[in-house]
Amino acid sequence: MIKRVRDSYKHNFVIIAFGPFLKIIEAAFDLLIPLIMKAVIDLNCGKEPSGLSAFVRFFNPKEIRSLDIVVGMVIILIMGIVGYVITMISQYLAARASVNVGTEVRGALYRKAVTLSKIERDKIGNARLLTLINSDTYQLQHGVLLFVRLVVRAPFILIGSLIISFILNWKIGLAFTAIVPMILLVNFLILRKTSKKYVEIQSDLDDLSNSTSETGDGARIIRASNQEKQENDKFEKRTSSYEEKSIKVNRLNALINPLTFAITSIVLIVIILLLQNNLFSGDVAIASTIIAEMAYLSQIFFVVVQLSQVTVEIVKAGVSGKRIDHVLAIETKIVNSDNPKTGSAKYGEELIKFNNVSFSFNEDNNYFLNDLNFEIRKGETFGIIGGTGSGKSTIINLIERFYEATSGSISYKGIPLKEYDLNSLRKDIGLVGQKSSLFNGSIKENFLMSNKTATDEEMISALKLAEAYEFVSQYEDGLDHQIKEGGTNLSGGQKQRLCIARALIRKPELLILDDSTSALDLLTDKKIRNNIKDIKDMTKVIVSQRVSTIQNADFILVLEGGKVVGQGKHNDLLDNCPIYREIYETQVKKG
Amino acid sequence: MSNKKRLMTYLKPMRKSLIMAMIFALLFVVAQIAQPFLLGKAIDAVGFSERDKYYIYTFVALGLAIGGIVFAYLFEVIVMNMSQKVIRRMRNDVYRKINSISVKDFDKKAHGDLALLEIRDMENIAAGLFAVFKTLIQGIFTIIVTIILMVMLHWFLAIGVIILSPLSMFMAMIVSGFSNKHYKKQGQLQAEVSSLTLETLNNIDVVQSLNYEEASTERFDEANKALKKEGRVAQFSASWVNPSTRLVNNTIYAVIGAVGVYLLSRSDPFIFITMSIGRLSSFLSYTNQYSKPFNEISNVAAEYENAKASLRRINEFLNLEDDVNNGDALINDIESIEFKNMSFSYDENQKLIENLNLTIKKGQKVAIVGPTGAGKTTLINLLMRFYDPIDGDIRFNDKSYLQVNKSSLRTSIGMVLQDTWIFTGTIMDNIRYFRQDASDEEVKEAAKKAHVDILIDTLPDGYMTRVSNKSGLSEGQRQMIAIARVMLLNPQLVILDEATSNIDTRSEKLITDAFDQMMKEKTSIVIAHRLSTIEGADIIIVMKDGAVVETGNHKELMKKQGFYYSLYSSQYK
Repeated sequence: MIKRVRDSYKHNFVIIAFGPFLKIIEAAFDLLIPLIMKAVIDLNCGKEPSGLSAFVRFFNPKEIRSLDIVVGMVIILIMGIVGYVITMISQYLAARASVNVGTEVRGALYRKAVTLSKIERDKIGNARLLTLINSDTYQLQHGVLLFVRLVVRAPFILIGSLIISFILNWKIGLAFTAIVPMILLVNFLILRKTSKKYVEIQSDLDDLSNSTSETGDGARIIRASNQEKQENDKFEKRTSSYEEKSIKVNRLNALINPLTFAITSIVLIVIILLLQNNLFSGDVAIASTIIAEMAYLSQIFFVVVQLSQVTVEIVKAGVSGKRIDHVLAIETKIVNSDNPKTGSAKYGEELIKFNNVSFSFNEDNNYFLNDLNFEIRKGETFGIIGGTGSGKSTIINLIERFYEATSGSISYKGIPLKEYDLNSLRKDIGLVGQKSSLFNGSIKENFLMSNKTATDEEMISALKLAEAYEFVSQYEDGLDHQIKEGGTNLSGGQKQRLCIARALIRKPELLILDDSTSALDLLTDKKIRNNIKDIKDMTKVIVSQRVSTIQNADFILVLEGGKVVGQGKHNDLLDNCPIYREIYETQVKKG
Repeated sequence: MSNKKRLMTYLKPMRKSLIMAMIFALLFVVAQIAQPFLLGKAIDAVGFSERDKYYIYTFVALGLAIGGIVFAYLFEVIVMNMSQKVIRRMRNDVYRKINSISVKDFDKKAHGDLALLEIRDMENIAAGLFAVFKTLIQGIFTIIVTIILMVMLHWFLAIGVIILSPLSMFMAMIVSGFSNKHYKKQGQLQAEVSSLTLETLNNIDVVQSLNYEEASTERFDEANKALKKEGRVAQFSASWVNPSTRLVNNTIYAVIGAVGVYLLSRSDPFIFITMSIGRLSSFLSYTNQYSKPFNEISNVAAEYENAKASLRRINEFLNLEDDVNNGDALINDIESIEFKNMSFSYDENQKLIENLNLTIKKGQKVAIVGPTGAGKTTLINLLMRFYDPIDGDIRFNDKSYLQVNKSSLRTSIGMVLQDTWIFTGTIMDNIRYFRQDASDEEVKEAAKKAHVDILIDTLPDGYMTRVSNKSGLSEGQRQMIAIARVMLLNPQLVILDEATSNIDTRSEKLITDAFDQMMKEKTSIVIAHRLSTIEGADIIIVMKDGAVVETGNHKELMKKQGFYYSLYSSQYK
């Protein structure tokens, strides 16, 4: 299980570590090539063979001058080919490690997203979760890739080049050594500034993404109110702000290469001035040394520049990693009980009990539900009615354990909700919410999500109960009919009926209809209620604003401002509950 | 418009910057590349013991180094700014397009795709433009200048380098051709993973209540695994490019070096050129540099491919036709709306409304009732000109819909839909949406009429509370805010499509009363399931299966004991 980004690194430790090791071998070859070149030049200039040049001469015992060149070339080529093979292996390991990390972290994020509770998820926001999964994980992956490929190789080349340049000529070595901290300092100062700015840029990008989705959702209203131009203007301000910030960061970032190049050039010239006395005194070896040193300088230069570019990417990956860890670190508060229990209830016995239940979103004293007390009995039809914002849906969210009660206790079959296994609890419940959400795929696939073992016959009977069979049977492909883009090819009423059928297919002990017939005409609404009335083992909780929908319920709970203001049967409530009577009168009698 | 043409429309205004970029690039490249040449000369000056020349060459090189960096910086900044400017304009255009295509075209698009278009695709294009411009301009100049200097140094060796160098490019092309194929496939799998995530997150309550978390995770894992497999191949094959070209380059370097050293060891001039240690030193650094731009150009192949695919998607969207605001007949006061033998369907195979005849006159309170799927909302879609009829005519003030100016029509209509839209901003901004010039007092007045003022007053920040589409407002509260918007607009014609379906009946009654007050002498069209809210309408239009089956007021229809009667009575049984 990946709990943090670093867990994934640990998980792939062997490949992440072995890749750079191979890179070192290849880098060592890279370091040797200029030395071999120098050896060949020295031999050609008639210098006595020693060290590497002796090694070259070893293959040329007859001491034919031009053969030295051929030998040197062949050695370089062989090293090149061996280096190539080793590189390929380590590149493969790099690809493997980075993709593994990306995949694992992506999976961990998805798991986290589906296990977080509603409140926790709302705090993060769907847009951010999406960006994390679809963008930050790739940034992270890219970081790992570069890490394996370059993070060990580059310092190795850097230090190796410096040491060799010292050995060849200490003055030059000293000058090279001076370059590196200068370049690194420039990079460090610039990167420190820009990495902060990148966070701002990323949040600007989130803004752009949000306003695009919002405009998508509001397409009709925006057109109806002729607000297109204003919306465009608002968006243009956002893109301008994004552009401005990007350009500012770019200006800083762009300084890195020219400054690095300037430092290197200046040092190069200093070297030539330093060496003038050696040069003018006619030292033969100095020429071949300069050629080799130039090769090392270009390697140092290349590597330092590469390091700074890689640092930018790795910093970005680090920022992404932090963003990801921030979400992965959230432990959902709504967890399974360690020692899950199961209760049982017979027909007519207490199924759900709210005992002094209060709820607030922010754990301040701003209670959304206040001191609720009521019981739902198995098999009955339980109606909940109340005005907008009276807390009806919050009760449902508490029963489903999407929310946790702030104080008081809720029990199911006589056992506190918290002591249940979440899955087994939710398995008992068939919830139809206000928003009808269907998934891309066939009707059948949508139903199988609710009940893996449902047969076609069971699906058809659920469709019949939900008064949806009529239109589904008109499709040529029936249950295999495809639902597109979350149901844009269906009307609101059709979607609601399919959602009801999907809940029924679970054969739930508790069916909750949360205002889920709002897009249905009253005839259909009534038919559905009649159809399910006779399923004796199923407890029905119907949340509505229409008296007609719940007036025949066995028990009705009347809510107002998060408090229970009445409970009982329809006729009792008409007599005893003024608020209920008022609701009834506004709906039935024309006021 | 083709992809190329589309891109050109964005690049054309950048012409000046492009020319500037080229000038700076040339200056920077010359300054940079002249250095090994000058330093080689300096080394040779040593050989002939010419100290004066030695100093001149060294200091000219120093001057060039410093001058070069200024140009290098300017070049990079200009190219970056260019790509940022291009994507800003492209982003704005895509956004404008979202707002200007017809609802019909819009409904065909998935909303999630739009955000991807604006974010991922745009970033790809910015990265692609920057990489391509920078490496192309810099690369081409580097190649040209290096060739010139190499020829000046030793034309025979130069020809060798020029002939051998394309080898590394061929190598790069072969390898990147292979990896691009896998990159493309990786892109498709990435899109799959992303749409799966989007779907789950949008329906997360359902996923959790159905205990579908595990199964959905399995589905995700499967897609993620496929992506992993392809991702590995894509990353791996892309990483062949560098080592492969490096191998080729090192080989070339070794060959040239060997020949150079051989020439150096000869005391007599070879084809009229004497090799000197300074020359060889300069020449070898050019051999190294010369192949670099080729590799860099092939390195940006992945960015180029990504950007190309993104451009194609963006262009496809931008190529959608703008909704035509046809007709110059301005509708400032809606006197009458008449559907004449009008037919309509969303889907060619499925007729929805056939031969509809219906007249609505100014001042009437019209109610449309009927079972789900009868075509009520479709009627609103047609009336708002979101969709056009297939056959027949809709006449506004006796002018055909084709003659009517859409925005003037829409200005005079206030609309509340069942599916409310709340955008990120304060409640104040949200209510003010239809009338930006309204004062704070007017907004509060409208909120009062919509019965949402009590709720707003209990919020910690009152009217300045920030809300969004997902910010915890209930459906009913959102509907109230949408109603307050129309209350503030005070239009001549109000359309309420199930606008109070999630509002409790007591508040609904108060809201309806406020509407009645506001709409005196004005026209209203109401769609409702709760028949109690529409009993007072002047005309009730009863629809069933896309046709009007009954019209009349409540009394008449009840007397008739037809379809309306049965709908009405079902409500109270």
